[in-house]
Amino acid sequence: MIYYAFHNPKIKNRYSLRILVLIILLFIAGCSNPYKKLTKVENPEKDTRIIPYSLPLSDKTIIYKADITFYKNNFGGLLVIKKIEEKKFRIALTTQFGLKIFDFELNHGKLNVVFCIDQLNKELIIKTFEEDFNLLLLQQDFEKIFKLKNTELNQRIWQLNSGKTSTYYIQNNESTSIDYISKRKRNSEKISVGLRNYKNDLPGEINLQHHNIKLKMNLKLIQ
Amino acid sequence: MNKSIFLIIFFLFTILITVAQEKGFKPIENSTELRNDLNALTANSSTIQSDFVQEKHLSFLSENIISKGKFAFKNPDLLRWEYTEPFNYIIVFNDKSILINDDGKISSFDTQSNKMFSEINNMMVGTIQGSLFNDSERFNVKYFESEKQYLLELEPKMAEMKSMLKTIKIFIDKTDNSVASIKMIETSEDYTKINFLNRKLNQPIDITKFQLQ
Repeated sequence: MIYYAFHNPKIKNRYSLRILVLIILLFIAGCSNPYKKLTKVENPEKDTRIIPYSLPLSDKTIIYKADITFYKNNFGGLLVIKKIEEKKFRIALTTQFGLKIFDFELNHGKLNVVFCIDQLNKELIIKTFEEDFNLLLLQQDFEKIFKLKNTELNQRIWQLNSGKTSTYYIQNNESTSIDYISKRKRNSEKISVGLRNYKNDLPGEINLQHHNIKLKMNLKLIQ
Repeated sequence: MNKSIFLIIFFLFTILITVAQEKGFKPIENSTELRNDLNALTANSSTIQSDFVQEKHLSFLSENIISKGKFAFKNPDLLRWEYTEPFNYIIVFNDKSILINDDGKISSFDTQSNKMFSEINNMMVGTIQGSLFNDSERFNVKYFESEKQYLLELEPKMAEMKSMLKTIKIFIDKTDNSVASIKMIETSEDYTKINFLNRKLNQPIDITKFQLQ
């Protein structure tokens, strides 16, 4: 049957067309932006402090148990985040035995490598970490900031726009802080972050996932 | 005038020398006797068990990060580190593999196929036994002593290890020649210090401790 179909030009064309339509439909569905239809109001000031998200504001030493999967590699240990001054952070990952895997400085959204093991010290990987920590610590540069409301799902949303990239910080109404972060480029989701079980204003669990590369970062709050 | 310049230089040198050396320790001229003692002890240690407190020093933090747990060693190459704080994590080294129980999630690695793990394995077993100083292929060793302790300073020779660690310091109590603490100093001067407490020598250990299910 399949052999017949592919050797009969009429049927072949009909099949190809259907498959093409299906692919286009799937593509459109996959790319539809759930936040696009919501009415948005631009905030006159370019200030992220209107977002109820306290992780970037804490002066304490924050320690997470980290579990990172990058393609087939798995590594982890303790992720230490320390705010040194306004818009300047140190972020270090050490193994259980204490050996450092990386030690970064995030300064006004730019990631500088203080130390990194050779296996990870590659431009592409460092850029990825820069993007992730900018997202988590709300440090990325942006042009405009909008407030959105999703009445259907009871969500308050803040949108940061920068060129073709939009980042959404989402708060469910019953929550007092941000529960979800989504970074989208040209309408497809690039990175998503789930934040759960807040303790003393810090997310107890963070699950960061890239959708275009196989990278996952799971963090559990220790202190 | 000349005299005061000489004095200043002399003091600067003294300060530099004291900074470079662990406080209270002086170099041992002839290390043969110490090496023989340690080798004899290594040969006679069939098991070691101990609690440990690990301090991680990061230059940008004012306080150290503390982890705690228990460790067990069985001659010649079975090693178990069990962290109980800040979370449960067990790592077992045996002759062929490394087993990890990370808060209930068990994984294993083949040390033969992973050079990095095999290096870590050798280093850990060697440090606990104090026998790492015999490994002249991998380390340059310097010997020091204080009133109560010996200090072995190991400087890695291999490129892979050198990129991570500048020096490994092994502190050995003179009373029983057992390893009291180890300090791993990274190239950045950040360090990890592991202190061994309640050490027990040659007490029986159940072999199942070195298996993870």
